[in-house]
Amino acid sequence: MTKGDKLLLAVLLLFSTLSTGLLYSRFSSFSRSSSALQAVISVHGDVVRTVSLPVATRTALTVQGRVGPSIVEIEGSRVRMREAPCPGRICINQGWVGQPGQSIVCMPGEILIRIEGASPLDGVTR
Amino acid sequence: MTRRTILPIAVLVLLGGLAWFQYSRRFQEYRSDQFLMDTLISITVYGKNQELLRTAVAAAYAEMRRIAELADGFPQPGTAAWRSSDICRINDQAGKAPVPVDDDTVAMLLQAQKYSRLSHGAFDVTVGPLMELWGFGGNNPHLPSPEQIRAALTLVNSEDMIVNKQDHTVFLRKAGMKLDLGAVAKGYATEKAASVLAQYGIDKALIDAGGNIRVIGRNSRNSPWKIGIKDPRTSDAIVAILPLVDTSAVTSADYYRAFEEQGKRYHHILDPRTGYSATHTISATVITKDAGLADILSTVFFVLPAEKSLELAATLPGVELFLVTADSRIRHSPTLSGTIEITRSDAYRYDEGR
Repeated sequence: MTKGDKLLLAVLLLFSTLSTGLLYSRFSSFSRSSSALQAVISVHGDVVRTVSLPVATRTALTVQGRVGPSIVEIEGSRVRMREAPCPGRICINQGWVGQPGQSIVCMPGEILIRIEGASPLDGVTR
Repeated sequence: MTRRTILPIAVLVLLGGLAWFQYSRRFQEYRSDQFLMDTLISITVYGKNQELLRTAVAAAYAEMRRIAELADGFPQPGTAAWRSSDICRINDQAGKAPVPVDDDTVAMLLQAQKYSRLSHGAFDVTVGPLMELWGFGGNNPHLPSPEQIRAALTLVNSEDMIVNKQDHTVFLRKAGMKLDLGAVAKGYATEKAASVLAQYGIDKALIDAGGNIRVIGRNSRNSPWKIGIKDPRTSDAIVAILPLVDTSAVTSADYYRAFEEQGKRYHHILDPRTGYSATHTISATVITKDAGLADILSTVFFVLPAEKSLELAATLPGVELFLVTADSRIRHSPTLSGTIEITRSDAYRYDEGR
């Protein structure tokens, strides 16, 4: 092998590993981005808090929604809306969620709490 | 160059080229969330053309928003939202005059009327006066007196809703009648959104309209979409898993808008024949292609007793049913055996095939 051959070989090797790596990273992002269980809280479409689950101690977070502060409670790997200023209470009635793909929605506050993570499920009816 | 070096080089070039080829035509996932129709609507689409995905999803939301505006029952009178709502204008002219409406309003109301008849009134789109009396549309639901319920019931009857397909008008015969599209519009809009996505050539999509699920094609792994049904009594659990392809699944359940008064629990799915919350079933899921039909039927089957629901479902082609009854039993259409996975047979009584 000449010096040129070696260079060519090195370039090709780099090219093929890079592109194969790219291929696999694309496939994995295609089949869901994050596999770690987490609760993602957003207000009016903007993510305001991301909490890795499970939490070691029971946690209460105050989230400023559009109609005032709501209190989100996290215990182990599950999350619920504990207090909300909205009169309908629909978000509180939704109870605890903990399965990836499950979510709690507060319409008046435009608060969305979604459980994300590797899931055997593509969606959940409710 | 010797033959010994050409071979590995050729293999590497081939590998690299293949990877680039795959990369250039890779699938993209595009997901969007919007608050609409009193809930959160999430649309996830897959395809190779990012721009097309974005355009298709925007068009699907626009279509849903249009239906939402037609069917909105709660804007303030006199506002623009009120004027663009066919339902508000029809309710306003109850007992007075027919109201010209959009084709989609005609389609929604005709479909609703059809299933009112089929269920002998277990579902009724003219349930508005009852919903208003209980206060389920607003913020402070409460138990009405039996006299109030009796009075409201005289205004609930789909046969007093005259839908004129030729003139595109709708007329409520009695003053005080009120349409409530709570069990109709979301499903109808979801189905319209699915057709919009299909028109853009999208062949892999999931629409989650506040828990009403409509899927197009198969999932990203090219398998049937795996859709869980929420356990009606343990909110962070899944009671069953359905594999779905090109169809919809809609659940009606009693845990959404509920309150307790005088030691009894009341919820927002009223039996239009009695005026009180339906009590036979706690969760009814309908699997059928048309999300609009699934929405209506999930309410029908929530209200009817389980036995009647299963009988009626068996007569409807392409309609499958999954029930959790008030006596903690799981029942489903026989056609679901073999595909459905029951994950909470420890919490509910489940005799397969029954």
